[in-house]
Amino acid sequence: MKKAFSVFIVLLASALLSAGGSKEENTITIWHQFTGAHSDMFDEILDGFNETIGKDIGVTAEGVYQGAANDVLTKVKAAAGTSELPDIAAMDATACLDMKESDYLITADEAGIDKSILLPAAVRAFTSDRGLLAVPFCCSSLILYYNKTVFDEAGAEPPRTLDDFTAIAPRIGQRDSKGNVTRYAFAGTPTTYELGAFIGAQNGLSYMVDGKNGHFGVPRNVLIETDGTFRNFLVHWKQFYDTGFVLNTSDQMQEFAAGRSASMLNASDRLPTLQRLIGDRFEIATAFVPMTDENATGGVNIGGSALFMFSDSEAVKAFMDYILSLDCQRSWAEGTGYLPATSAVYSDPEFQEYLEANPLYGTAVAQTLASNPEVTGIWMPSGYQIYHTYQSEIREVTENGKDIDQAVHDMASFIQLQLDDYARQNTSK
Amino acid sequence: MKRQNTKAYLLLLPSMILAVLFSFLPLIQSIIGSFLNVSQQGKVLGAAGLDNYISLFSDKAFINSIGHTFLFLAIFLPLNTVLILLAAILTRRKRRHIAIAEYVFLIPMAVSLSSISLIFREIFRGRVSIANRILSTDLPWLESPGCAIFVLALLGVFLDFGIDYILLLSSFRKIDRSLIEAASIDGAGSLRTLFYIELPEVKPMLSVIIFLAIKDAIMISAPVMILTAGGPFRSTETIMYYYYLEAFRSGNRGTGSSIATLMAILAGLIMATMAARRRHDRENG
Amino acid sequence: MIGRTAERFLLIFLLAIIAFPIAYALMASFFSPMDFTDSYAHFLPSSFSLDNYRMALGNRYYPQFIANSVITSVIQAFLRSAVSIAAAFAFTHLEFSGSKPMLIVLLVTMFIPPDALLYPNYSTIAGMGLLDTYWGIILPSVFSASSLLMILGAFRSCDKNIYEAARIDGSGDGRYVMQILLPMTRSIIAAVFLQTFITAFNSYLWPLLVTSRMGMRTVQVGITMLGFAESGEFGAQFAAIMMITLPFLIILVIARRKMMQALSDSIIN
Repeated sequence: MKKAFSVFIVLLASALLSAGGSKEENTITIWHQFTGAHSDMFDEILDGFNETIGKDIGVTAEGVYQGAANDVLTKVKAAAGTSELPDIAAMDATACLDMKESDYLITADEAGIDKSILLPAAVRAFTSDRGLLAVPFCCSSLILYYNKTVFDEAGAEPPRTLDDFTAIAPRIGQRDSKGNVTRYAFAGTPTTYELGAFIGAQNGLSYMVDGKNGHFGVPRNVLIETDGTFRNFLVHWKQFYDTGFVLNTSDQMQEFAAGRSASMLNASDRLPTLQRLIGDRFEIATAFVPMTDENATGGVNIGGSALFMFSDSEAVKAFMDYILSLDCQRSWAEGTGYLPATSAVYSDPEFQEYLEANPLYGTAVAQTLASNPEVTGIWMPSGYQIYHTYQSEIREVTENGKDIDQAVHDMASFIQLQLDDYARQNTSK
Repeated sequence: MKRQNTKAYLLLLPSMILAVLFSFLPLIQSIIGSFLNVSQQGKVLGAAGLDNYISLFSDKAFINSIGHTFLFLAIFLPLNTVLILLAAILTRRKRRHIAIAEYVFLIPMAVSLSSISLIFREIFRGRVSIANRILSTDLPWLESPGCAIFVLALLGVFLDFGIDYILLLSSFRKIDRSLIEAASIDGAGSLRTLFYIELPEVKPMLSVIIFLAIKDAIMISAPVMILTAGGPFRSTETIMYYYYLEAFRSGNRGTGSSIATLMAILAGLIMATMAARRRHDRENG
Repeated sequence: MIGRTAERFLLIFLLAIIAFPIAYALMASFFSPMDFTDSYAHFLPSSFSLDNYRMALGNRYYPQFIANSVITSVIQAFLRSAVSIAAAFAFTHLEFSGSKPMLIVLLVTMFIPPDALLYPNYSTIAGMGLLDTYWGIILPSVFSASSLLMILGAFRSCDKNIYEAARIDGSGDGRYVMQILLPMTRSIIAAVFLQTFITAFNSYLWPLLVTSRMGMRTVQVGITMLGFAESGEFGAQFAAIMMITLPFLIILVIARRKMMQALSDSIIN
């Protein structure tokens, strides 16, 4: 009993010690959603800062994992107006609308970040009527991953348009003797992210909602119905699906890596993971996202997350300067598969060498540079619900033969409902 | 004997403080909060009357979550009851090798909620999952609403299996041997003995297990978070997962408080009914 | 005879269902990333290697998660036992006014489900400045009516004459509790301690809500965010799971009888 008691006292003491000292002066707290290799890489950057500039100015940067990007936003909103608010938080486009309206955000413009060194498309992705909201950091774009082994055997080229895809689907797909599909041509059900490219690229540049996809002012009207862009996409997509070689799923990684589908769309930064999952089972390659039709020349938008600031201290500014430095951007990009956020990296000889050695990664870079920088991600309220509604409508059309015009109308009405709700809340304030 | 008030109160103080602070006070807070308008930052904006409840019940997602919870219960409860009954019946007599079976049936107790949820997620992941391989099916387990709620129910069975099995097994083994022997002398077969002698004896324990299972089922949230995060298409959002989303994700304190109040009352009623039944069983047994 | 065979078949079938998930997890902890995405799902790893275990242990946070879990669970088990012993002693050995109503107040908490109180409890802990601390994880579940009941039952069954004799001998209550009462009821106390430890170690929801720093996460929360799965290293995820499950499997084998006894008593009481 005595022994147990002394063990307990020791444990208690250690608990109390580590519980204390959580709030330190001169610490930059950064909330983020990085896990695995990305988290290690980010910690390395922080260590790099702490050992050099941080040491000189007496500041320590500390990363705090807060769950998925969505969770970071939730926690930021909950901490708003309290001392719990971090100095910096990494969040994606879903946070932009809330951040834009908040009074606690220090925008990148207000913080005096030099925009001229940043990649134009990345700047556009986070620009609003309040200027550049945040510092782009984890840039990625949608790309087409395909099974090169299968494509080569079938003598197929990566599709330029959805119609091309429809044409080659029977060749890259496969059925067994009983007629069951053993390999799909494509796996995945497009949703907000994919439609950002399929709709955004149409007619050179299209938006889902007004205010340039909600970036300027409060979005009030949905455009996918009046512009005919969603309908156009669905018509082509339905033809593609009707080949019988498209699998509706939200776990396209697993299906693609298992060789059960010959292609998929995914974020460019998933490449290292995919290579690990596939190993030498087949050769994987990357290509531009297929266009909805010949007029859809806009390309893709930059996705991923940016660093939002809630403190305008010199230390935060110094940290941002460090993180945007050439070396830091290059090693972050090469270590994670993200696209560099600063223009200088793209012309850096060392990065050029890396691109040559990693042609699969180069696709995303080339596609981004070839895209219309005005094609931007959508800032919408109720992103979670809209995400699921897109998937359900596409499933209804493809699997259950729902009328395309009806689906377009239902989808547009649903988004309009969310916009109306949002506008009401933001004008009554 | 002299009264020892001070000493007794001192000894009870920690328990009382903790019980009030983390049980009674939050319950009262929830009840009061459910009739107030509270901002995301926790500021009271005024009385809301029944507004929180009205907006709660006019939210389609909440109504759906009630449906999902009861669908879950409808799959989970029979599955759970049948499986633990079978396991306990098949191992109720101590025989050679039966100890091995006992160990195996206790395994679920050693596996934590988050571990088993992660394991299930992998077993049922995608069409190339091991589940499809073993069952020779081609089902999109966690991708289709019907399958996902079934997998969730199966996970629920796993979470409760160990403890339920122990309770039921020890209840079987506590039956007076002479009752069973007398029956077999009378020439009753083992099935007859089971149905007419043993099952009535374990009925009180079985009803406790069922009550606890119902309570656990309507309060389910953590496995949903890890296994499906409410998906696919929000088809596995249960009441308490919806509560988590509203209270913690969206910061809707009013709605959060009204769900908490309703669920606390519901769970309290289930527990109280169970306690009343047990008392009744004991007095008559 | 047919009945016997059918019974056996049914038992083996049930055993297979129950054992499968953990057996699969064990196998998967040796899988290479490619094994997970083979178009023909396997049960056995393609090669045997401890790389996944090495990777899990080499994770920046995993060892810290385990330490956090062990520390909080031990403190919680200790505190719950201590608090329950104090209260149970007062109820069974001391005469004081208000004894009955106070007991009822404490036991009524059994009917208030903690899961429905997550938000107000979170606010309380946040208000006390205890988010991201061990105390924040521990405090709300220190008191438990069912643990109190278990110890109450044990103390009630102790002979009161010994207590009277000890008092006449002039030994204080403290000495009586430590030297006579606790040794007499040690198996129940141990059961409460162990049960609390296991429940605390395995709890997920509450620690998830009150911690946000990686350094403060408990292992149950932490294993869902090690990030192995996101980078395709599912095997390391399973190695991490197996390493925290194994100790409990061993406890189970060693203490099966005792645990079954204690657990069934705790509900039946």
